Amino acid sequence: MASHVGLVPPTPAPYKDNEPKAAEKIDYLNLPCPIPYEEIHREALMSLKPELFEGMRFDFTKGLNQKFSLSHSVFMGPMEVPSQATETIKIPTAHYEFGANFLDPKLMLFGRILTDGRLNARMKCDLTDNLSLKANAQLTNEPHMSHGMVNFDYKGKDFRTQFQLGNGALFGASYIQSVTPHLSLGSEVFWAGQHRKSGIGLAARYNNDKMVATGQVASTGMVALSYVQKVSEKVSLASDFMYNYMSRDVTASFGYDYILRQCRLRGKIDSNGCTAAFLEERLNMGLNFILSAEIDHWKKDYKFGFGLTVGE
Amino acid sequence: MNSKNLLEVTPKAHLLGLRFMVNRYKVSKVSGRSEASEERSTVKCLKDWSTWTMKKAKVITHYGFIPLVIIIGVNSEPKPTLSQLLTPF
Repeated sequence: MASHVGLVPPTPAPYKDNEPKAAEKIDYLNLPCPIPYEEIHREALMSLKPELFEGMRFDFTKGLNQKFSLSHSVFMGPMEVPSQATETIKIPTAHYEFGANFLDPKLMLFGRILTDGRLNARMKCDLTDNLSLKANAQLTNEPHMSHGMVNFDYKGKDFRTQFQLGNGALFGASYIQSVTPHLSLGSEVFWAGQHRKSGIGLAARYNNDKMVATGQVASTGMVALSYVQKVSEKVSLASDFMYNYMSRDVTASFGYDYILRQCRLRGKIDSNGCTAAFLEERLNMGLNFILSAEIDHWKKDYKFGFGLTVGE
Repeated sequence: MNSKNLLEVTPKAHLLGLRFMVNRYKVSKVSGRSEASEERSTVKCLKDWSTWTMKKAKVITHYGFIPLVIIIGVNSEPKPTLSQLLTPF
């Protein structure tokens, strides 16, 4: 009797041992689709580069429909003018911007026009399930200052490719492939006819549930590395390192991103002696209060801004 | 007298060959020039035409993009009314 009882237990045990092993085995034919090549630094950019501004900003978005909305935006404040001198030149400007958005699962149209005639237009159209066409343009009334770009994206099972055409004879192509469920590698090549430049770049991205690490190298001399760690549901920390081996320019920055119930606070500190913070506080449903601060101790440039965003 | 001697001395084949070469050079030069100018004019024509279309496309996009988005939006379901477009609430 005792021997029979002793013989029964071993049989379920081998099944239990095999199950976790099967889950760990990587199915190389079923890898997830990687994120697009231009968004490879997405998490680091979201945390470290919020839309800092100086002055007063007021945005009102009116939704007329599930898909269609109009937006009105007023901005008053100093705008930086690029100058050769070390001192930054700021010119006080005020402008009103009218925008219209149309959002469909297959077609997205986004247009913004300013009082000085500048148009910022974006379009994304899904031609088929896997092929999509994106176009964006910044048009001005000044001659030779307008830019336009068209992208064709093809999404495969575990890869993505993109072909770009821009004005000024700009051609670019990029390809990114998932190599393991966590790692994806990609490369890009571009040729700019007007500036007589061409380049090739490589990128790699490793992510799991808790962290994202990316690296990018380009033949223009740029090396960019970033690391984002999701410490908890509400807190994530990010760091970024950019090195240009042609111009010997190095920038390192470290930042945090707190996503709380009523607000989102992002802060960062730079190796150029620049600290910045950006707060979006939700006062009510559809009403957001924004505070932005950027202090550059080295250049003695202090920027503070506040704003209100109404609408979804 | 010298020229007569030269004619006698140089073999006929050589002379014929030279004349042939001269003729060929003349003919190819003329046709080459016309071909090259034709090619250049077609390329120039294409460039001019594409520049013209780009300029027109830029003007059309600049003035027409936002109205296009509004027209597509107003025709989507459920149709918003004109008053809804103009009031701020």
